[in-house]
Amino acid sequence: MPLDPTAARVEREYRHASPLLGCRFDPSGRYLFATSQDNSILRFDLVTGGRTALVGHASWGRGMVVRAAGPRTSNPERAAASVAARGGAIGPAAVALPAPPADPFTLISADYHGKLIWWNGHAATPTPVRTVEAHAGWCRAVALSPDGATLATCGNDNLVKLWDAATGAHRRTLTGHTSHVYNVAFHPSGTRLVSADLLGTVKDWDAATGACVRDLDAKVMHKYDPTFRADIGGARGMAVAPDGRVACAGITNVSNAFAGVGNPLVVLFDWADGKSKALKPKDVFQGTAWGVGFLNDGTVIAGGGGSGGRVWFWSGADANSTHTLTPPAHVRDLAVHPAGDRFAVACATGAAVVYTLRRVS
Amino acid sequence: MPHADYACGSAAHAVSRRGFLATAGATAALGTAGFASPDSTAALARNQKRVLVVYLAGGVSQFETWDPKPGTDTGGPFRAISTSVPGTQICELLPHTAARMHRLAVVRSLNSTTPDHAQGERVMLTGRRPEAGIEYPHLGAVAAKMLGGERAEMPGHIHILPGGGGGRADATFLGPQFASVPVPDGRPPANLLRPSGLTADADRARDALRQSLTDRFSRSRRSAASEAYAASFAQAERVFNRADVFDVDRESLKTAERYGRHDFGRHLLLARRLLEAGVSYVKVSHSNYDTHHENFDFHIEQLGEFDRPFAALLDDLSDRGMLESTLVVVMSEMGRTPKINERFGRDHWSNGWSVVLGGAGIKGGAVVGRTNANGTTIADREVGPWHLFHTYLRAVGLDPERNFHPNQRPVPVADPRASAISEILA
Amino acid sequence: MPARPGPAAALLILLFAPAAVADEPLHARIDKLIAAGHPSHTKLAAPPADDGEFLRRATLDLTGTIPSSAEVTAFFADADPGKRTKTIDRLLAAPGYPRRMAQAFDVILMERRKDTRVPRAAWETYLRDTFTENRPYDAFAREILSADGTDAKTRPAAKFFLDRDGEPNLITRDLGRVFLGRNLGCAQCHDHPTVADYKQADYYGIQAFINRTFLFPNAQVPTAVIAEKADGEVIFTSVFDKSKKASATGPRMPGLKPLDEPKAEKGKEYAVAPAKDVRPVPTYSRRERLAAAVTSPENPVFARTAVNRLWALVLGRGLIDPVDQDHADNPPSHPELLDLLAREFVAREYDVKWLVREIALTRAYQRSSEVPAALTDVPPDRYLVGPLKPLAAEQLAYALSEATGNTSADAKAAPLVAAFRGVYGGAAGEPDDGTTQTLSQTLFLKNGPVVRGLTQPKAGNLADRLGKLPPDRAADELFLSVLTRRPTADEKTDVTAALTRTPAADRPAFCGELVWALVTSAEFRFNH
Repeated sequence: MPLDPTAARVEREYRHASPLLGCRFDPSGRYLFATSQDNSILRFDLVTGGRTALVGHASWGRGMVVRAAGPRTSNPERAAASVAARGGAIGPAAVALPAPPADPFTLISADYHGKLIWWNGHAATPTPVRTVEAHAGWCRAVALSPDGATLATCGNDNLVKLWDAATGAHRRTLTGHTSHVYNVAFHPSGTRLVSADLLGTVKDWDAATGACVRDLDAKVMHKYDPTFRADIGGARGMAVAPDGRVACAGITNVSNAFAGVGNPLVVLFDWADGKSKALKPKDVFQGTAWGVGFLNDGTVIAGGGGSGGRVWFWSGADANSTHTLTPPAHVRDLAVHPAGDRFAVACATGAAVVYTLRRVS
Repeated sequence: MPHADYACGSAAHAVSRRGFLATAGATAALGTAGFASPDSTAALARNQKRVLVVYLAGGVSQFETWDPKPGTDTGGPFRAISTSVPGTQICELLPHTAARMHRLAVVRSLNSTTPDHAQGERVMLTGRRPEAGIEYPHLGAVAAKMLGGERAEMPGHIHILPGGGGGRADATFLGPQFASVPVPDGRPPANLLRPSGLTADADRARDALRQSLTDRFSRSRRSAASEAYAASFAQAERVFNRADVFDVDRESLKTAERYGRHDFGRHLLLARRLLEAGVSYVKVSHSNYDTHHENFDFHIEQLGEFDRPFAALLDDLSDRGMLESTLVVVMSEMGRTPKINERFGRDHWSNGWSVVLGGAGIKGGAVVGRTNANGTTIADREVGPWHLFHTYLRAVGLDPERNFHPNQRPVPVADPRASAISEILA
Repeated sequence: MPARPGPAAALLILLFAPAAVADEPLHARIDKLIAAGHPSHTKLAAPPADDGEFLRRATLDLTGTIPSSAEVTAFFADADPGKRTKTIDRLLAAPGYPRRMAQAFDVILMERRKDTRVPRAAWETYLRDTFTENRPYDAFAREILSADGTDAKTRPAAKFFLDRDGEPNLITRDLGRVFLGRNLGCAQCHDHPTVADYKQADYYGIQAFINRTFLFPNAQVPTAVIAEKADGEVIFTSVFDKSKKASATGPRMPGLKPLDEPKAEKGKEYAVAPAKDVRPVPTYSRRERLAAAVTSPENPVFARTAVNRLWALVLGRGLIDPVDQDHADNPPSHPELLDLLAREFVAREYDVKWLVREIALTRAYQRSSEVPAALTDVPPDRYLVGPLKPLAAEQLAYALSEATGNTSADAKAAPLVAAFRGVYGGAAGEPDDGTTQTLSQTLFLKNGPVVRGLTQPKAGNLADRLGKLPPDRAADELFLSVLTRRPTADEKTDVTAALTRTPAADRPAFCGELVWALVTSAEFRFNH
């Protein structure tokens, strides 16, 4: 059933003291995780309204995945309803009541010192369970295979690495990128994964053998700026839809890399033929798209900023956005809720905002 | 046209028109033309002082280089790493330089007062606050004049820059022969060699006629532009006579590898050749550091280009016994803000940033000045570009309290309200 | 007739004097104001330029090249006391005038940017036609600011926009510099840090005229045209403002009120609605109002900037200097003069040729550039001596071609222009005052094949002709052709003697080096 982007409204807003970098929901949809410039990861509880800080990283990070530790038994919707029924609703009072139990899960997060940390994510105060030196230089993104067995990471050492998601054992290193690898994601089949680098090459790998099956062209997102003599590019956000479409978010038409003067862009690849479509904001906007995702009706959604923050929606075949939202601040990442009808943005002001497109019943 | 008294009285200009036309048509060769042999040049170069400025254009971030603040609200994601100087740490983006920190001194408390590119460059290179009615010469012109002088064989003030670019009138009252000679992209200039069919005699002779006509013109129509024009021919002659110096390909493959095959490496290697050939001042610009957007990614790229060649240069200068006589300065026009903006950028900042010095007259390993815990203010020993200017001069054995005398008016070489930073002088 | 007027006659003279003053030609009034601008100006100022100085200067300034030796000889021999005025009129009527003005305004408007969407030939033709027809300057400015590139006939005028890729910040800044005498570039992010008069609101007021403009179908294709949307507002915040207060502005010239804009009727915003591959045309166009707003009589900085730029073109330095820094802390050197020129220019309906002529007729312009021995201090802005300007790249090309006997006819000289632009043209997108001399330029003159090819003897050129002349006739022809003057006695003696000593077979090559020495001297390089 198609969603109505114009119906988007704020469901929850959290405020952290430091600017946020990235965000991700857990598969049950109860928690929103957000990384921050103070090196902590915030866990926002959508049921109780509470928040917890995960302390352990010594640097920034944007990449996170949540791995279920067992079968899903809890239902955050029912949990939220029961909390509301207890009369405490949301707020300081609700925090005092015992929170409904969450299913156990592991949060795996990456940082710019190249480290991966496994956390007991559902604990009252999660702590690091395991630390792995994953990359030389920034580990920029993390992805989890659909079966939860394999972890993929990528970073500034131009490498993509595969790990045993349960034990942290290194399985395989995928070489071939010639520049910093910004993002990585699995195909829903689990047999393939894609990674995108600074120079605009997207590599499609066989997850079992590690062979590079093909290169996809996202070079429109890269530019060597001859005035400043530096490269700007990379998929700042990346997502793969259930039908295999791959969306890469970034900046294009760059006339001044060091001032970020350019236009936000989402490059959308068709899985079958690898052809791409350039999705743009309908209203000319100067800035960058930092995060991207797919809603449950197939709508592509991206968040970014320039002078102010924006969220853009692309429904249907139109290459121009069909709707635009103006969040209160510059959006640095966007995550879609597992139900596919809600999304969160992580802002430079430290705000994390959850929007819902659900119809009011 | 200001009637400045340019110091144009060099012997080269004294060849008379009569001289040309009297000898015209004669075929007598002039022998080896009396140029200094390469050996004597090298000896001269070792004893003379010279200056190398590595200019990180755009405003390099002190957080990402010399004054890291990891784990603070302003520090960003990078680590601080130990260096060859116990107790001194710099940003992890400069590992090769870190291993050579004992050759360098850091000043971390610079307040250059002007968070602006053009003005910032001006105060950093003149060591002066802008003043109405007078344009001060840049450091390169001062060095060329005071270290090299009028009779220098090579142009004394050379600027190696990444792209194209014209010259600038940066010698002001010192005269156009000390103005920077740009060497765009470090390439030897085109048309450097004489066309076939033109003998050295004929070239000299025709140039004498050109000069005498120019002299006559200049007697009543001097201007900064016409003076610069006249001086440029003498300069071209000097460059022609040492054309080999510009040819970086004469270096061994091994040396080229050490510096790195990319532009900045090549430019630093050319700088070393020029300094070795007796050029008093070489400035090598590295572009660009004005990172208002994605500051951290861009500093990885730019400092990645800077670190290894700079370390190679320090080693090379040391190996050749040139380090004691060459002042090395790494500067920018300003620093960058402690506050990280929405686009992961840092903006302009002049309130507390860093400059690094090394080589001649400098105490390796010295650290002067401190910023506070998160780099938002200067905590100790605030200095300005005027103090640095005094320091450069003292380091190469010059007296900053001397005067120039444009139009018979005394103008102090350096700002008399300031003095050298004695803690970093050897 | 009494030798001196009696009291009655003197009274009559006094009564008529104001009328006489009002009818005084502009160039006389200019000279009066210049004289008033410096104590003892008349006593200290240099005398008028001699014939050679005047002829060379006027020919370069008005036709972009030097006079041929035949023209020089004829001018020297002419005894007519009005010959200078007649020469100025002859030059203004020559095809060299529109060519020279076209080249000057090409640099002012486009600053050596690459020709991406309007080919060079079409643009130069458009500019030359403008000055051949002596189109009023305000009409010219309106064409530049309003052409949308859709009509092939008027497309060249759209080059200002098109070859800046329609980039709104670039256009805002350059529009301000070229037509309003203000470089507002630093005011994009905040009020200008050092110029109190330049506000961020001014910057965005200009940008609001073009914020809805874009290149259609996109900024990549060379055939793109200018298009406009019906919506889009300009909102700005200062990077210095911690509260990040957002301000909005409609289209507005600096110092003036914003335009009254019609309210868009819902559903009727477009005359041609945007659709795939369809160029939208809004019912109300902000860009169409730009040309009128800039050139409006209510926007006096337009005329002020125009006359300042024309003055700078002829005299080498604007009354406001630099020409794009018109603000309270940078007053004109002669405020009354600037006001007078602006008023008269408007009254004469922006007649460029008329103004250039008046300036050329002034004593200030025709003064010698040789500094009198008694004058120790020559301030740059008092016009005590005549102008001294480096030749522009195009002037060098044409002058060199003419001097070496290759004529400055377009067919011969045009190919040189590209080579000289490459070596002497300023950096693309940067203002070029031509005052620096780089090593590469000097080597181009010393050893480069282009200059050598012109100076060395070739059938019919100067070196060839000189080499065949009897030695005692060569010096005159050489100096007249290259430096627009006769040789001094010493110069003539020495050249003659040197040539006599040279074997006849070697003379043409030797003359080639003589020509080289003269064309590379400062005397040739500068317009004096």
